[in-house]
Amino acid sequence: MEDRLRRYEKIEFLGEGQFATVYKARDTQTENIVAVKKIKVGSRAEAKDGINRTALREIKLLQELHHPNIIGLLDVFGHMSNVSLVFDFMDFDMEVVIKDTNIVLTPANIKSYVLQTLQGLEYLHNNWVLHRDLKPNNLLVNSDGVLKIGDFGLAKFFGSPNRVYTHQVVTRWYRAPELLYGARMYGTSVDMWAVGCILAELLLRVPFLPGETDLDQLTRIFQVMGTPTEETWPGLTSLQDYIQFKPMPSQPLRNIFSAAGDDLLDLITSLLMVNPLARCTCEQALKMPYFSNKPAPTPGPQLPVPTSLNGRKQDERPSLKRKLLDAVDGGSLAKKLIF
Amino acid sequence: MAGNFWQSSHYQQWLLDKQDLIRERQHDLQILSEEEYQKLFIFFSNFIQVLGEQLKLRQQVIATATVYFKRFYARNSLKCIDPLLLAPTCVGLASKVEEFGVISNNRLITTCSTVVKNKLSYAYTTDFPYRTNNILECEFYLLENLDCCLIVYQPYRPLLQLLQDIGHDDQLFSLAWRVVNDSLRTDVCLLYPPYQIAIACLQIACVILGKDHKNWFAELSVDIEKIQEISRYVINLFELWKTYDEKKDIQALLSKMPKPKQSPSR
Repeated sequence: MEDRLRRYEKIEFLGEGQFATVYKARDTQTENIVAVKKIKVGSRAEAKDGINRTALREIKLLQELHHPNIIGLLDVFGHMSNVSLVFDFMDFDMEVVIKDTNIVLTPANIKSYVLQTLQGLEYLHNNWVLHRDLKPNNLLVNSDGVLKIGDFGLAKFFGSPNRVYTHQVVTRWYRAPELLYGARMYGTSVDMWAVGCILAELLLRVPFLPGETDLDQLTRIFQVMGTPTEETWPGLTSLQDYIQFKPMPSQPLRNIFSAAGDDLLDLITSLLMVNPLARCTCEQALKMPYFSNKPAPTPGPQLPVPTSLNGRKQDERPSLKRKLLDAVDGGSLAKKLIF
Repeated sequence: MAGNFWQSSHYQQWLLDKQDLIRERQHDLQILSEEEYQKLFIFFSNFIQVLGEQLKLRQQVIATATVYFKRFYARNSLKCIDPLLLAPTCVGLASKVEEFGVISNNRLITTCSTVVKNKLSYAYTTDFPYRTNNILECEFYLLENLDCCLIVYQPYRPLLQLLQDIGHDDQLFSLAWRVVNDSLRTDVCLLYPPYQIAIACLQIACVILGKDHKNWFAELSVDIEKIQEISRYVINLFELWKTYDEKKDIQALLSKMPKPKQSPSR
């Protein structure tokens, strides 16, 4: 334990959120730069129950998952309820990229981000893991332009029959309609919807469906994609929290994403199918013409780097700080779930 | 448990070699005979089982806790941590990992006290000595010694698949399931992949019930020698049980067991 504390030399404080404090550190054994996430000990009652569940969920899943587009868990150390997780250091996240007005996202850049996201997610789904909290600031990027899916605090194995899941997952703006309708049994489609919303956000540079309440979220979805019916989504009306909306027609996506080609519009349409069973899987998405058509995805090292990093202004390095602080604002959900 | 077994930490890091076990147990086996060592592990596996049942845990969680327990001592001497403390710690950690409901450490301790008092009085004459603080301290130590490998594959799911293939048979199912439970009292979960354990346990159940599925077994593409090795472990356990009276012998064994130097601070 003492050795491990000394092994990681703190370089700087990156941020603090509700659940963890994150430091940039140097691994003195390998000279690699890493991110150390120190899980906060909650209330006294919580501390009494030992290793934090969110941390445990990340540990157990990431210990089994190894893919270039999945964040790597390098080490775990701590004492009693104090747990620290050591991750690959990632320079920034997609939210920073999207919000940085100095960055121009070319169609090839966007293709590269979406491709890497889907490849990581395909690996997760093939291993029966749902991420359940995909959003731009959980897609981490390093200076080599490699995108890794991070934050597995809500992730879960799926596929066990008769297991009922909570629907209170995924930050609202990226939450699939079946979750908003209270579905307790769902699958990979919830992650696919989130990818659709993220792709849309990459094109628009603002959140695509920024609902203010769960009801408002559904309204916004239906205003764009059209109100579903029992015909377009069999089983819809028997969902736990089903509410009837007034019928609205779907908008042509071409009008919303005026810069997108037909192949890209096809991908968005498949990702944002309101009926979860009609929504595409990662495998299907990756086989769509968009990924084989020109332009080719930008090679990692040529992807844009946020200005805050170019200037090497250490105190403004945003990624993890933003990511964790985000947990405090209303758009995000508490990571403590009751299963 | 879902996931990919062949890429799992279970397959890649935690299928041990018989030689590894012998080496790691060297210290304990200077004090205890191999049979005594096994008897102690049977006792503590039973403790985990009873504790799990009292807490209304599913067998999957109980089995995972038992494997954690065995993995820990596959690397450490019994004197590192009193198994009476490690056992509930394993149950607590397994219940968190498997996400089948929350068990507070308080409830865990209370249940331990009740079980020790009411069901294990033949082994322990004193009260259960540990408090939540001990469990907290022990939990992290356990996690580290497991190398943070928390996902354990069990033979139950492959057993169900095999039974579906062989044709539905309630009697065979429930006996094979119980043989798998029994196998947790041997080292097979440290040495063999769960699908092989499932086949071996199914075969034993067939023999006990006099069901002839020879042709079905012959068609399995599996290393039959491994299956026989597993069967031997389980049958040896059955032989041991025939002559062994735990209630009579366990106190002497527990006092002979290597112990941590300091008693826990209370």
